[in-house]
Amino acid sequence: MSSADIDVRNVHKIYHKDRIEIPVLMGLGLKIDAGQFVVLMGPSGSGKSTLLHLIGGLDAPTSGSVRVGEAQLETMSERQLTAWRSRHVGFIFQMYHLVPVLTAAQNIELPLLLFPMSSAERRQRVNTALDIVGLGDRSDHRPNQLSGGQEQRVAIARAIVTDPDVILADEPTGDLDATTSGEILDLLSLLNSDFGKTILMVTHDPRAASYGRRTVHLEKGVLQREEINANPRGAAAALAS
Amino acid sequence: MTLTYVLMQNLRRNPLRMGLTVIAFALPMAVFVAAISFVVALARVGAHNEAQLRLGVHHKQTLTNPLPEALRRRIEGLDPDRARLAAVCGMRWFGGRVPETQNTLTSLAADVDTFHIVYSDTDMTPEEVVAWQRDRTACVVGRNPATTYGWKLGDRVTLESTVPPYLALEFHIVKVMDNAERANFFYFRRDYLDESRKAAGFDDPRCNIFWVKCRSAAALRSLQQDIDALFAHTPDETKSEDENAFAANFTQAAGDLPGLMQAMAVVVVVVVALVAGNTMMMSIRERTRELAVFKAIGFQSSRVFTIVLGESVLLAMIGSVIGVLPTAALLYAFPVRGLSFGPISGLEVSWVAVVGSMVISLAVGLLAGIWPAMRAMRLHTTDALRRVA
Repeated sequence: MSSADIDVRNVHKIYHKDRIEIPVLMGLGLKIDAGQFVVLMGPSGSGKSTLLHLIGGLDAPTSGSVRVGEAQLETMSERQLTAWRSRHVGFIFQMYHLVPVLTAAQNIELPLLLFPMSSAERRQRVNTALDIVGLGDRSDHRPNQLSGGQEQRVAIARAIVTDPDVILADEPTGDLDATTSGEILDLLSLLNSDFGKTILMVTHDPRAASYGRRTVHLEKGVLQREEINANPRGAAAALAS
Repeated sequence: MTLTYVLMQNLRRNPLRMGLTVIAFALPMAVFVAAISFVVALARVGAHNEAQLRLGVHHKQTLTNPLPEALRRRIEGLDPDRARLAAVCGMRWFGGRVPETQNTLTSLAADVDTFHIVYSDTDMTPEEVVAWQRDRTACVVGRNPATTYGWKLGDRVTLESTVPPYLALEFHIVKVMDNAERANFFYFRRDYLDESRKAAGFDDPRCNIFWVKCRSAAALRSLQQDIDALFAHTPDETKSEDENAFAANFTQAAGDLPGLMQAMAVVVVVVVALVAGNTMMMSIRERTRELAVFKAIGFQSSRVFTIVLGESVLLAMIGSVIGVLPTAALLYAFPVRGLSFGPISGLEVSWVAVVGSMVISLAVGLLAGIWPAMRAMRLHTTDALRRVA
């Protein structure tokens, strides 16, 4: 299973809207070792999602550098970033964003259509991802036949089916109840502990933050403080204790 | 799973909207096929007429003013060597009706010696020509009236004229014409008509029109000028026109039908493009977030462009197939016969129209989808995702 470290150095990000400059990140620096589970927290507008997008290659910094594994993202074209993203990054969104007319298995299979792969191999990978997220018996269900938690599991399966180095999760439990949130966070913890995935998760929820090894607090585009969590929550941790 | 499958599934996202859009495509395309089939039929008739190189000479004021039959000799006298004209056939309108029916047949009396030369497209065999020339009651009938009234070769039939002196004449069918261009016509001998009219007290052998079979298009044009010049400033001043121009006098009496059909076809295409474009724009607007996720998980902008454009084309082609193929199949299986619409005697499916409509549907699908596809391609992923949150 693959994993990658992340190195963000002196990154500035300024948006331009109607000739107005909106600085979002102000010389931010952050280093994440391969296989770490890091949580990003901060008030709205602090730049959490922007940082996530920069690390995921969805956007480019105004200045500064972003390295993920061996990829120096600010030097890459949009086409190169998209191709890199398909192989190295798995995204998990708050609202799942599954294609409603496809089954769970088909949704998970979508990223694999970008690779030269036989249908048999695609099917095998999809089944593996479904097993990991515990939805083997729901493969033929459409999203409207799944609960919110199950939809998010499908979204997680879609994010991991390409075996990415990094998983970026933007408020993955924002739309879920407490019990279901716990299940999703346990799953993310499992991906980190058992599969060694580097995970960067944005959240407002302190309980969700307790699953990370590190919590980074952003405010007004700069890193305010960091907290190390010696005993992160999670299924693996629960088993270990 | 393939991307094509994803396209198909995307179309089923909103079944009601897809259904209405498909119907919005299908019905106009069905009308389009019929309209273009009509235009193609007109064009076919026009091409046929052009190839026949016939020049119609009638009274300049009105077709209903018959000309003396002696004009035929004077027309022939313009070209004694027959370098420009092959033959001249005088014709007189009979306007016959089958007794106890209402429909007037396109029935004309024609010169016995030159009819088969000037109207070589009746494809009369030498035996049929002999029968025509031997029997003064001989007639040559198009397949539409033959089918309608159950006539066949050798039958004796009666027509009642709708013009004075309202003669009722009996005829002997010596040929049933198969070609579409002659399908509505009924020809018989002019000498038979003149004798019958004389017996009824109307001794004025005249012709409503003289048809001149020319040897070339250039000959047709030169004869057209020479004939009208010959009779200019006389009581029998003539107007000469080629067969297409002559036929247009009748179709244009009902308005410029070919032009109307073509305009209708253009309107159909534009309306369909607008409907499809609107549908695609609505669909893409609803799926902004989803398309942003496609890009986020690694779909190149060009691929997103292809997906959106592909959906538009697929929608157009589905609608077109649903509209065009049943119409074409229906016209193929049950062609409309017995039309008497100017030179059009029937409506059959034109495969030019079918292929043309599919090509136009493809073009409309591309046209309707290009703007939504461009928007999808240019979608800023983070902005779209931020709109989500």
